[in-house]
Amino acid sequence: MLLFPAVRRALTSATKNNVRATSTAASNLLEVFVDGKPVMVEPGTTVLQACEKVGVQIPRFCYHERLSVAGNCRMCLVEIEKAPKPVAACAMPVMKGWNILTNSEKSRKAREGVMEFLLANHPLDCPICDQGGECDLQDQSMMFGSDRSRFTEGKRAVEDKNIGPLVKTIMTRCIQCTRCIRFASEVAGVDDLGTTGRGNEMQVGTYIEKMFMSELSGNVIDLCPVGALTSKPYAFTARPWETRKTESVDVLDALGSNIVVSTRGGEVMRILPKMHEDINEEWISDKTRFAYDGLKRQRLTQPMIKDDNGYLVEASWEDVLTKVAGVLQSVQGNDVAAIAGGLVDAEALVALKDLLNRLNSDNLCTEEVFPNSGAGTDLRSNYLLNSRIGGVEEADVLLLIGTNPRYEAPLFNARIRKSWLHNDLQVAVVGSPVDLTYTFDHLGDSPQIIKDLSTGKHPFSKVLNQAKKPMIVLGSSALQRKDGAAIHAAVSTLAQNARSSSGVSENWKVLNILHRVASQVAALDLGYKPGVDAIRKNPPKVLFLLGADAGCITRQDLPKGSFIIYQGHHGDAGAPMADVIFPGAAYTEKSATYVNTEGRAQKTYVAVSPPGMAREDWKIIRALSELAGVTLPYDTIDAVRSRLHEVSPNLVRYDDVEEANYFKQAAELSQLANQQLLADPLVPPQLSIKDFYMTDPITRASQTMAKCVKAVTEGAQAIEEPSIC
Amino acid sequence: MAEYVQLVRRALQQIRGHGGITGSFWQFLRSADLKTGTLVGIDKYGNKYFEDKRYFFGRHRWVEYTIEMNGKYTYWDVDGSMVPPEWHRWLHSMTEEPPSTHPPTTHKYIWQNHKFNLSATPGQYVPYSTTRKKIEAWVPPAPSKN
Repeated sequence: MLLFPAVRRALTSATKNNVRATSTAASNLLEVFVDGKPVMVEPGTTVLQACEKVGVQIPRFCYHERLSVAGNCRMCLVEIEKAPKPVAACAMPVMKGWNILTNSEKSRKAREGVMEFLLANHPLDCPICDQGGECDLQDQSMMFGSDRSRFTEGKRAVEDKNIGPLVKTIMTRCIQCTRCIRFASEVAGVDDLGTTGRGNEMQVGTYIEKMFMSELSGNVIDLCPVGALTSKPYAFTARPWETRKTESVDVLDALGSNIVVSTRGGEVMRILPKMHEDINEEWISDKTRFAYDGLKRQRLTQPMIKDDNGYLVEASWEDVLTKVAGVLQSVQGNDVAAIAGGLVDAEALVALKDLLNRLNSDNLCTEEVFPNSGAGTDLRSNYLLNSRIGGVEEADVLLLIGTNPRYEAPLFNARIRKSWLHNDLQVAVVGSPVDLTYTFDHLGDSPQIIKDLSTGKHPFSKVLNQAKKPMIVLGSSALQRKDGAAIHAAVSTLAQNARSSSGVSENWKVLNILHRVASQVAALDLGYKPGVDAIRKNPPKVLFLLGADAGCITRQDLPKGSFIIYQGHHGDAGAPMADVIFPGAAYTEKSATYVNTEGRAQKTYVAVSPPGMAREDWKIIRALSELAGVTLPYDTIDAVRSRLHEVSPNLVRYDDVEEANYFKQAAELSQLANQQLLADPLVPPQLSIKDFYMTDPITRASQTMAKCVKAVTEGAQAIEEPSIC
Repeated sequence: MAEYVQLVRRALQQIRGHGGITGSFWQFLRSADLKTGTLVGIDKYGNKYFEDKRYFFGRHRWVEYTIEMNGKYTYWDVDGSMVPPEWHRWLHSMTEEPPSTHPPTTHKYIWQNHKFNLSATPGQYVPYSTTRKKIEAWVPPAPSKN
């Protein structure tokens, strides 16, 4: 029964005790009427929300659920019975017994008047506007606007602003809804945007000419109800009705944001966010949104094989597969090893593990290091973001250790900021003092502070011990250090202390690991060894790189004459040193399972077919196994998934977070790690925004991301844009 | 009766004109016709051009292709493009004057020599796309010197 996510969720949510949520007794509800229909709402509900509750949509431009209420577009004016004037529905709280008339003569006339004023200064360039087809102004003027024009004057024009290589501005189209301004200051946490002037002279802009430098800047494109803010890379390339939409999952960070991939004619045209309350709400980071052009460059489209002169030349699948099968048959046991990279899906991981296990080898590593002493990766709670992304909203004290969530997981950082803003979350940081868009106590950057915190020597330990729901997030980059095991042990002791002093129930998890790559949790769930130390110590004759592009192992680490196979989708660090290249599929081209840092398994879907001769990764490994004489027992993706279920059932319980526990035992076991903390400061690798854009083979191949790096280092003017429109 | 005699006489004349039974046999295999007429001229490749006004208009001028042209054996494998442009106009009755008596004006941009049609051979023209590629493939770097 627990196999079904819906049932599990229903069972667990019933038992969840959420101390921070407010509950309202039924007696406090107010009765209001929407077009005569009665509805019970909580006090403080706005007119617009009350109407939404009965399914009546009020037209609006400035109002957005996740932003503060501005009430300046006036589109949501509705008539209240016996009220002298129409009221702005988005800002007016309901009062007992009100009858809201959403479709009365007065309401309709008010909307028509507002629409006429909005259109007075809006250009009539819909045919060349990128928002055409998904424009709120277009739709609402059709629904609520007048059928004729009384307009004879000239239109106002506004100069366009260059706010960077991602967001294109056509400010004449702006209707001053201020959604972008509120998003920037509330969600993104950069007060870059604002208004200047009043009345007809009012303009939205950045005051002085500068870039809108935020890792979430692309979301203003979705927020803009008109075509004033559009996507620069997507400009004039497609219309929304031409594209085919595939709901999928992002893999460029470890959060697994849900996305919609818009494709046309076998080409990814753009990527939009898909709502998922527990992960990304409705935002996505700029890397997720704009790195898609990296999927079209530097691609491996043909199998390749190294010729006698050392050149990689194109070959057929038959040639490369038989060659590799022959090589695999000639080696024994630990002479063959594999390294999995950061963008690999669970299906390919399990297929490769099964293949190597059949060849009597268990040398399967991931590029990301995770300490293996103590409980290591045996207990899942050791390597997951146990309190989940949404858990930040319940926490009251958050300690970030050796991580910069703003760039390692931008949407997690947005959650922290949301909680900091609305729930008075207290944040403290051990590590480099970086700009996280919210205030925090900087406790220092020495790992010794973690020890001091748990022994109570540090002044902040008092705050931590008094916390009701403490949360400690350890960045995976801190575990890449030589003293990773010691850091992990110190943090799990600290988390255990904080738990016992807070007296929080067993459901609340304190220890959290924030990963940076999408494949890591699935790889650890499947039993891959973290880190390539085993391969360095015991160099294999045959090395299988499955999308391994971090350059952990080079030819110099391997004995002379060793054979390297690279399977992946981009020619990056791994492909040039390979003897044979298998072209695989990128995340938009395969149906694959990825597990995010919370341990939530999610599926991507095929949006476009893999380019050229490239194939889905598990299929390549399956074909290879057959030629090597160790046929893997699955022929379909469903069979692979049932194998995944055999190994680790949580991998196929999609969109469900499997609880991990045994923190106490893990903390005890971690004391076995006989390692000393080093004195080096904890420095996360992504310190400023220029480190954010290019972190993996896809983003390194992306020209948009390269432009972003150039723009943030040299200024937005450094980017040459074609001067069309 | 007299027209039948005429017919037989013309048949014999045609057979004789092509060099007897054997010659006519090969001629018929090659061109499926045994027309005879006055030889108007021979072009530089050796194609022979005939005319006989007794035939219906459109069939009154014809060519007997050369056997070897630009190094290619053209006994069986003939091609309409083997007729040079100046003879083409006469052959298709665009003009009454054959180029043997009225030589054409020469221009430097006119092909001096005939080129065979390369369709269905490895040298044929293949159209290529001029649009941007949707996917740019990775080009492997040259091997390092170590």
